[in-house]
Parts: sequence; C-alpha cells; structure tokens
Amino acid sequence: MPTPAPPAPAPLLALEGVGMRYALGGREASVLDGVDLALADGEFVCVVGPSGCGKSTLLRIAHGLVAPTSGRVVFEGRPATGVNLACAMVFQSFALLPWLTVLENVTLGLEARRVAPAERRRRADRYIDMVGLEGYEEAYPRELSGGMKQRVGLARALAVEPRLLLMDEPFSALDALTSITLRKELLDIWASADVPVSTVLMVTHSIEEAVELSDRVVVIAGRPGRVAEVLPVPLPRPRDRKTPEFTATVDRIFSLIV
Amino acid sequence: MPAAGTRRARRSTGRLLGAALLLAALALVAVRLRPSASGAAAGLADLPGLALRSLGRMAAAYLLSLPFALAYGAGAAKSRRAGRVLLPVLDVLQSIPVLGFFPVAVAFFAGLLPGAAGMELASVFLIFTGMAWNMAFGVYEGLSTIPADLAEATASFGVAGRLRAARLLFPAAVPKLVYNSIVSWAGGWYFLIACEIISVGGQRRALPGLGSYLQATSDAGDLPANLAGLAVLVGLVVAIDLALWRPLSVWAERFRYGQGGSAAPESSRLLDWWLAARGPRALRRAAASALGLLLAPAGAAWDRLAALRPRARRALARIAAALGLAGAAALALAAVRGIVRLAASPWPARAAEIPLALLASTGRLLAAYALALAWTVPVAVWAGSRPRAARVVRPLAEIGASVPAIALFPLMVAVLIRHIGVSSAAVLLVLTGMQWYLLFNGLAGVSAIPEDLREAARSLGLPWRMRLRKLVLPAAAPSLVTGSITGWGGGWNALIVSEQLSYAGVTYSAYGIGALLDDATYRDGGDPLLLALCLAAMVAAIALLNRLVWRRLQAWAAETFRIV
Repeated sequence: MPTPAPPAPAPLLALEGVGMRYALGGREASVLDGVDLALADGEFVCVVGPSGCGKSTLLRIAHGLVAPTSGRVVFEGRPATGVNLACAMVFQSFALLPWLTVLENVTLGLEARRVAPAERRRRADRYIDMVGLEGYEEAYPRELSGGMKQRVGLARALAVEPRLLLMDEPFSALDALTSITLRKELLDIWASADVPVSTVLMVTHSIEEAVELSDRVVVIAGRPGRVAEVLPVPLPRPRDRKTPEFTATVDRIFSLIV
Repeated sequence: MPAAGTRRARRSTGRLLGAALLLAALALVAVRLRPSASGAAAGLADLPGLALRSLGRMAAAYLLSLPFALAYGAGAAKSRRAGRVLLPVLDVLQSIPVLGFFPVAVAFFAGLLPGAAGMELASVFLIFTGMAWNMAFGVYEGLSTIPADLAEATASFGVAGRLRAARLLFPAAVPKLVYNSIVSWAGGWYFLIACEIISVGGQRRALPGLGSYLQATSDAGDLPANLAGLAVLVGLVVAIDLALWRPLSVWAERFRYGQGGSAAPESSRLLDWWLAARGPRALRRAAASALGLLLAPAGAAWDRLAALRPRARRALARIAAALGLAGAAALALAAVRGIVRLAASPWPARAAEIPLALLASTGRLLAAYALALAWTVPVAVWAGSRPRAARVVRPLAEIGASVPAIALFPLMVAVLIRHIGVSSAAVLLVLTGMQWYLLFNGLAGVSAIPEDLREAARSLGLPWRMRLRKLVLPAAAPSLVTGSITGWGGGWNALIVSEQLSYAGVTYSAYGIGALLDDATYRDGGDPLLLALCLAAMVAAIALLNRLVWRRLQAWAAETFRIV
C-alpha cells in the first residue's frame, strides 16, 4: 500500500476558474476563460503568451485592480476582493509620478501604509541603494534613462516589502543591454536572503526571458486566453541561454504558442 | 431586449435627424421671409420663428468663424515670427467684451447695407466676435503640438502641399477645434441677447430673435413668457448637441494622437448611422460633393501656390505681409483718428469712477472664482475618474454654459436680489459666465490622467486624500489653470450683462465697470469716449492680469506637472 502523499502546502495565491468578459460596443468580448493557477510561496513564475491573450489582465486580476467576471482569487487561503495590498506591481510603462522625485516615488506606498517618516526614509534608502540609484534620490523621473526609471519602479515595489511581487512586462520597454543587466539584478535580489520579497509573478512576451528567470512557465494561448500548459523549468541558475536544455525548453514553449 | 432597443434607437435617430433637417430648412425660410416683428411685440406663437432666426444668426456666425479660425490658427502656427505677431493680437481681441465691438459693428457693417439687412450683418458680426478667437486658438494649439515624429514621417514620405494639409494638418487641428467650437457655440448663446440688441447713436434696435425676446419679456416682467423662451432655448441647445456636437466629438476622437482618456462621449447613434455601410449613401455623397465644391477653389489655390518656385513664393509672402501691414496701418490710422476725435470731446465726468469701478468688479470676479472652484473641482475630480459620469456631466455643462445670464434675471430679481442684494446677485451672474470653463477643463484634465498612473496609485494603496494630493490634482493642474484663464475671460465678458439688470421696468445696478460700460453704451444716447476709456481700462487690466499672474502660473504648471 503506497503511503499517502504529505498534504501540499496551501498556495500563496490561487486563481480559480477566472474569466473576464468586456462589453465592447454592444458585443461581448471574452479575454480570459476558466484560468486556474496556483502560486507557492517562494516561487518565481512567468506567464507567457501571444499579445492580446489576456496575460496583463490576468496579472491585474491577481492584484485585485480588476475584478474577474467569473471565478475567484484566493490569497493565503482566503478569497480576495479589491486591491490586495500584500502585492506590489512593477509596470511596463514604469508609471512613475512625473512630479515626484525618485525618493518621493519610492516612499509613496510606505506613506500610504502609514509607515513612520524615519522608517520610510530608511527603507527607501535601502532599496534605492539596492537597485543602484544612490545619489539620484532628488532626481525627477524625466531626468532618468529608461533603465533607471524601471529601477525606481522596482525599488518602489520592493519598498513596501510585498508578499507577492507582480511584474507586467517590466523589461520590454528597455533596450537589450539594459534588460540583460536588470534581469540579472532582479534574480540576485529575489535570491538574496535579506530581501523579504520571495514570490514573483511576472508577465512577459519573451519566451527566453521566462525560461531564464522562472521556476515554472505558464503558457496562455487562444482567444479567449486559457492555460495551455504549465512547464516546470528545472535548470540550475544562473542559466546559460546557449545550453541544449535551455533551447529545448524554449522551443517546446514556442511550439505551444504558435 | 437589445434588438428592440436598437430598433427603437434607430427610429428615434431617424426622427431626430428629420427634426434637425426640418429645423435648418425652417431657419432659412424664417430668416428670409418673415417680416421683422419687434421682439417686444412678439407673443408665444412667434417663439419658434424667433428661435429659428437666432439659430440662423448663430449658424452664419459659426460658418464665418470656421474658415477664419483655420486660416488664422494655421498662420500663427506656420512660423515663430508670424506667431509672435498674431497670438498677442488674438489675446487682445479675446479680452475685448462684445460691447467693445459695437462701434465697429454699427459703423461698418450696419453701414455696409441699409436697413434690416445691415443690422443682421452687424448682429452676425457681433456673434462672430464671441466665437472666432477661441476657435482660432484651438486650431493653433492643435497645429503647434503636432508630434515631431509625425511631422518627420510625413516629410520623409514626401507628403506635402494639399495632401499634407488633408492628412496631417487638418486631422491634428480637429480634436481641439471641435472642442473649442462647442465652447464657442455655447458662448454664442450666452451673449445672444447683447448681440441682438444693437444700439446706434443711443437708439436701441432690437432684432427679432430669441435673445431680444428674452430681454423684452424680462423688461416687461412677464415671467411665464420669459420661462417659455428659456425652455425653447434649452430645447434648442439640447437638440443641436445631439444632432451636431455629439457626433462631431465622437468623430474627432479618431484624430487624437497617443493614449490618455478624454471626456468625449463614447458613441453617437447618429454618427454610427451616418457612417454605416448601409447608411444614407446618397446623402453622404451629396454632402461630400457639396464640401468638395466649397473647398475646390481653396485646394486649387493651394496647389498653385505649392507649384510656385521658392523665389516666387517668397515674393508672394512678402506681398501678403505688406498688404497685411497696410491693412493694419489703415486700421491704426482710423483708430488714432477716432481717438483724436473722441479726445476733442469733453472729458466725461464719470471717467474718474473707472479705477474704483474696476476694483469693485475685480472683487466680484474673485468671489465668483472662489465659488466656481469650490464646486467645479470636486465635480471634475469625481466625474473625471468615472467615464460614465463624465458622459452625463459634460452635456449638462454644455447646456448650463449656453443659458444666458440675462435669462436668469427674473429668477434673480424674484428671489435673490431681495434677499442678498444686487451686488451679490451680480456675483452669481458672473459665476454663470465663469464656472463652465473651469468644469470643462477640469473634467478634461482629470479624464486625461494616464491609466497606468491610476493603476499605480491603486496598486500602492494610496488612500483617496493622498491620491488627490499626489496624483489627481497635480495631473489636472495645467488644465485647471487653462480653465481659470478662459473662465476669467468669460467672467470679464459676463460683467457687462451681470452688473446692470432690468426687470419689469426697474433697473438694478451694482457699482462696477460692467455697469459703467452698460451706461456708456446705452444710457442717454451713450458716451463714446467713456465707452472707449472703460474698454481700454478693462483690456489693460485683463492683459496685465494675464501677463503677471496667469501666463506665469500656466508656464509653471505646464513645466512642473508635465506628464512625459
């Protein structure tokens, strides 16, 4: 008689049968349909799919920025409604407030959570240093390059020390060299023991990026988008894009999408 | 049941269009055929005819404003040098209240044609002065903010001349032009009364129309008749909004470059019907060919100009500039002669009142501004963040902006003057000329906040106060300043109809520059010198305030709260 498997730990985040429909000029358009997805504590998961498959909407549903029209979101075992402040998001367009300095942008979420000013400053300094922007605290976003802006976006999200970090195509508005550097730094920060942020859900359209970064790749395909496949990536980190295993994984995902 | 809903919608759209066409046809007939009945003698039965006459004047003024705005705005945007001359001129023109154009209207346009036709021309010109400047600014703004990459792309593909005008310049001007047209049109209704009662040498000539009807019924203290006129006005405003402005603003959205929301309505059944594949093809073709016929001479001229050699074109430009200068010189000479003649007449005793009257009016404007901010900013913030609410608030604001202050006199007199005094009632009337610009602009500013910034604020969990302080108010600040500038402009203009109210034969007067202007224009045959002095003082005050306060504030807000 086989021994019963140990009970699986409750997932940090679970999407259960999530669907999304819009009314578009009289017609109904369905973006997502019956998406199930569970995220364990400490995992790095990437969602890939062709453009328009609803992957960004999925991320916004996970955060509670958008309410799904069917299904539900469960966070730490409890159904979640409204914006989930245990999450923080990094935006594709950076979404920095142009009239606030780097420091003010980074402390914004802390101010909203009523963190005391001294602690606010301490934490902002720490994460601004971590993303390599020390000396730029008083700069305005328009004075920064794209890569530096996204570093501010990352520091702003890390500063609230979220249980779950959500990233919406964070590197796709950056040039190739900058995004290579930032990807590496993101992995370092994620792996580092003294950063309390350990779980990441990232949306990307780059299959290589997903394979390089994540523990599992969730492939969304079709219209409306459904989970076509969930692929574990058991390769050791740091991953070399030139190994046959890496290429094989990329090819496999590519064949699922096209 | 959606099917029944669309069918009903289609039917009501058809009816609406039929009504609009009928209205236009009747307007033509009414303007041509009706013998001019004096506004005072008009009864309820005359109301539709009077309304159509007013509509005809408004339409004529708008159709004149449109080519003017396109030409002037394009000229100002063409080169920095042209802009340096044309824009300040437009600024001054915009700050002159409609009464200031009376002498020109009467001396020139009423003199051009004898009798009623001349008066009609003068009235149309006066309405034009309330519409054209703002529309020209709109064209200029649209053209001067064409993104560099678009300009480069069209140049790189060799798009020039007529094609460039049709594919780049006109589309770039459309959104702002349509938006400003709506504001100008509302302003036309607002000042309709002043434009239909023209004073010639101290004699008042009332042209038959809705504006003079409202004035006459108010003078007579005939409240039911007055309210009937007001109802007709509001009905007309709503009908034109549905038949014209709503389809146009939906259409104009196509030409908006880049993302960012807008307060424009989302859809117009009339536009859908017009553009549908199975829509009125014959009608559409007729409209297109009519437009083509109208535009053909301009297009041919444009082509001929574009085909000229650079040297010839430069020579032509120099000739045009010389002609313009000569015209300006002639105007200046006429002005100087007028001033000399005026200065020769005895100094008006009441000229000494001007500084104090100006101060009193400024105080009233400040009070009205505070009141306007107090209600429009919260409403703009609330509705601007909710597209559905914005689509309700905007048409309501358009109606509100179209209701002339004078139409509210009876209510003012009946209720307010007795309780709060003439001076405070005047503040409320000024408010009617000021608040809508703030609401329009505030709404547009809040609606245009990029979605990613809104999401970031929600994602970070900013409570509403912080969201207001860190996101919404900074993002809307440039629009609020623009709204303040136009609102103050509207307020200065509204002074002339707000500080002197007459109802049932009694004149209520609040001490101020507006009342003084009113006296100088109408009282005892009018006093041209006093009128000129008041106008000069007012224009100077407006220009000074613009230079010292508003332009600086605008530059600061645009720089500090720019969304990159």
